[in-house]
Amino acid sequence: MAEFGTLCLLLGLATAGWAVVASFNGWLDRSGALVLSGERAIYATWGLVALAIGCLEYLIFTDRFDIEYVASYSNRALPAMYKVSALWAGQAGSILFWLFVLCSYAAVVVAMNRRRNRPLMPVVVTTLSSIALFFLLLVNFMARPFVGLSQVPIDGLGMNPQLQNPFMAIHPPALYTGYVGLTIPFAFAIAALATGQLSDTWFRTTRRFTILSWFVLGTGILLGGWWAYVELGWGGYWAWDPVENASLIPWLTATAFLHSVMIEERKRMLRVWNMSLVIMTFLLSILGTFITRSGVISSVHSFTRSDIGPMFAGFLGVSVIVSVGLLIHRLPLLQSEHRLDSFVSRESSFLFNNLLLVGAAFAVLWGTIFPIISEAVRGVKITVGPPFFNEIMVPITFGLLTLSAICPMIAWRRATPHRLIDKVRIPLGTGILAAAVLFAAGMRDGYALVAFSLCAFVVATTVMEFFWGTRARMKATGEPALGALWSLVDRNKRRYGGFIVHVGVMLIIVGITGSSAFKQEATAVLARGESFGLGRFALRFEDIVSRDDPNQEFLGARLAVIEGGRQVGTLEPGQNFYKAGQDPSSEIAIRSTLREDLYLILSGFDPQAGKVTLKAYLNPLIAWIWIGGGVLILGSWFAMLPDLRDRRREAEARLSAAESYATS
Amino acid sequence: MAAGRFSLKIVVAVAALVAGFAILFGVGLRGSMVYYLTVGEFLDREGREDLGENFRVNGNVVEGSIVRTPGRLGAVFLMTDGSRRLKVHFDKETPDTFVDGSEVVVEGAMHDDGMFAAHTLLAKCPSKYESSARGQETLRNAAEKGAPRDAAPAR
Repeated sequence: MAEFGTLCLLLGLATAGWAVVASFNGWLDRSGALVLSGERAIYATWGLVALAIGCLEYLIFTDRFDIEYVASYSNRALPAMYKVSALWAGQAGSILFWLFVLCSYAAVVVAMNRRRNRPLMPVVVTTLSSIALFFLLLVNFMARPFVGLSQVPIDGLGMNPQLQNPFMAIHPPALYTGYVGLTIPFAFAIAALATGQLSDTWFRTTRRFTILSWFVLGTGILLGGWWAYVELGWGGYWAWDPVENASLIPWLTATAFLHSVMIEERKRMLRVWNMSLVIMTFLLSILGTFITRSGVISSVHSFTRSDIGPMFAGFLGVSVIVSVGLLIHRLPLLQSEHRLDSFVSRESSFLFNNLLLVGAAFAVLWGTIFPIISEAVRGVKITVGPPFFNEIMVPITFGLLTLSAICPMIAWRRATPHRLIDKVRIPLGTGILAAAVLFAAGMRDGYALVAFSLCAFVVATTVMEFFWGTRARMKATGEPALGALWSLVDRNKRRYGGFIVHVGVMLIIVGITGSSAFKQEATAVLARGESFGLGRFALRFEDIVSRDDPNQEFLGARLAVIEGGRQVGTLEPGQNFYKAGQDPSSEIAIRSTLREDLYLILSGFDPQAGKVTLKAYLNPLIAWIWIGGGVLILGSWFAMLPDLRDRRREAEARLSAAESYATS
Repeated sequence: MAAGRFSLKIVVAVAALVAGFAILFGVGLRGSMVYYLTVGEFLDREGREDLGENFRVNGNVVEGSIVRTPGRLGAVFLMTDGSRRLKVHFDKETPDTFVDGSEVVVEGAMHDDGMFAAHTLLAKCPSKYESSARGQETLRNAAEKGAPRDAAPAR
């Protein structure tokens, strides 16, 4: 089986290589047969990589510990779900999985464009298969998943207990689906540059891929935060760790692209900027994969580390040279067709939004790679701590919030100030009112007041947008309110889906603000029956609990949660002792409500004295981060659904294609 | 973006924004830079005030050196880079991976009592996850290059 897997990957190297050669030459020679052959090679590569993945999973499920990868990341007692996720627990497997996601995207793109975008496709296929070829080189020669062991162990080493968590099982696939999806707009951008067909086709075709990758990457980031929160046991969810940053940076530039591409679509402006953003986003997602998989910057997440660094650096270098070279070559064709002529206009507010997002991305990137740069320049590693990121991100977030509150109300081209003031009155009033109410309620944290007030401003703007739109439609068509609201959003799913996403982001920011500005913590050593207080709560240590599972033994403490003299629940923080012999891991207990999370860690146990040591956190509003994530996903899906306009345009395109076919 | 395509007001606003960024950047960076050193490097650099007070130090926990006080969080332990030793005091809950021999990264400052007072401790266990010869080799590389694997944070 392992030999078969190795063979599949070798053959995949050949088919991907052929896809590069055939589609590139097919493009140069205008040979339809070669181009078609290249596209078929993409399907073949996908099939071979899928077979290799199947082989590796088969080896994991059949406990073949003569294979190093299986012996390192699985064992007999590992539950089935984690045997699936063992595929991406280690470096070789996760690179293989990355490759599989890329090939899947490539196959879907080829299938969707059999009759569309024919002039672009040869270069799209060349680009995608070149990237696949690089990852195939990695799995064939550097990070090989099917390497055997000379001495076969009786049982595998098992998966790191911290990775045995449902969120961690789906966090990497989500991240990869997001990262890798960003190669699709990149490939089309490269094709547009190479062919000189720089109309709006490249970003219109890839719009759904961009939104999909964007929100899946965002979801992956949130899942990672959730995992850190429920598993790592330090009461937080984000530590500005290099691996976390690596996923945030391309997400920020992708966010900038999603916004600025609307300007290009409507006004044919910022065209060089959009190309640069797409290229940047792709390069940053490769850099992110590299940082995640190589552990080059010492990091909480570096579960793996190896010598793939130079390969990645080389690949990044080639990508930079090719894409920047093409961009410079086509600069004359990318002139804006309009002038940005008003300071107060939708266009300029998008420009500032982009500057802030790219500035944020640059700041996070700089802080993340600073240790490498300082080591290279001065021979000593200097790390940059969370205060740096917080200091930069707080003002940028405030700027972005203000823009997203005002931007939808500013007219295209040139807004008249008094009309803007007229529109902004109610939302701005809501924001100020929110701050006043919170201040009256006793909130004195300046940053939090500003953040909450701005969030209220944005949400009020969004609500007013729905309201104004519905009212205008009711007047125009005489539909009832709900019907008008539905046909309003149905006609422009992208705009209103975008608004829903904004609301989701606001909820996330509310959650982040609440849980970072008003976090409380306490430590206590308790004997049975004793209690300690945290915020409004008292926690009383009731008893020791223990449970025996096939995979692990659980030892914990049961605590009564008392609020206002009344018991409202129990929590059981404890430790898991693994039978596979790994070190014990803490099992956190969380009582989550919309108002706050009560978060308990059992950090010590003294059997002689019968005392337990507990660490407790009170995280206000944290649940809203995850709820906001859900709203964000909902809005993104909605924005991806086809609009009436899209449907009409597609029908027209199909018709004209049929006509030209008939006349030729 | 060619000049002349944008009005003066916008150019000025963009310039102001970029300048604001630069200031934010400089101030933020100066305030949060921390030197990342091995135990030996740290002991050699001690007393050099130009490096600041706060340091991140990487090393391994000396076998049997962890001393815990019952009923109190944290531990006092020795960490080493193979030749020299540093006594560290950490007073928060330790991560699961903090055991004899594990590789740790501590962040903090030298205290007057001659102990390094750490406010952050990252630990990576002497991994059982890598057993093969190649695994041992990567593990050794990791130790030499000073990068923690399998680390879990404690804050």
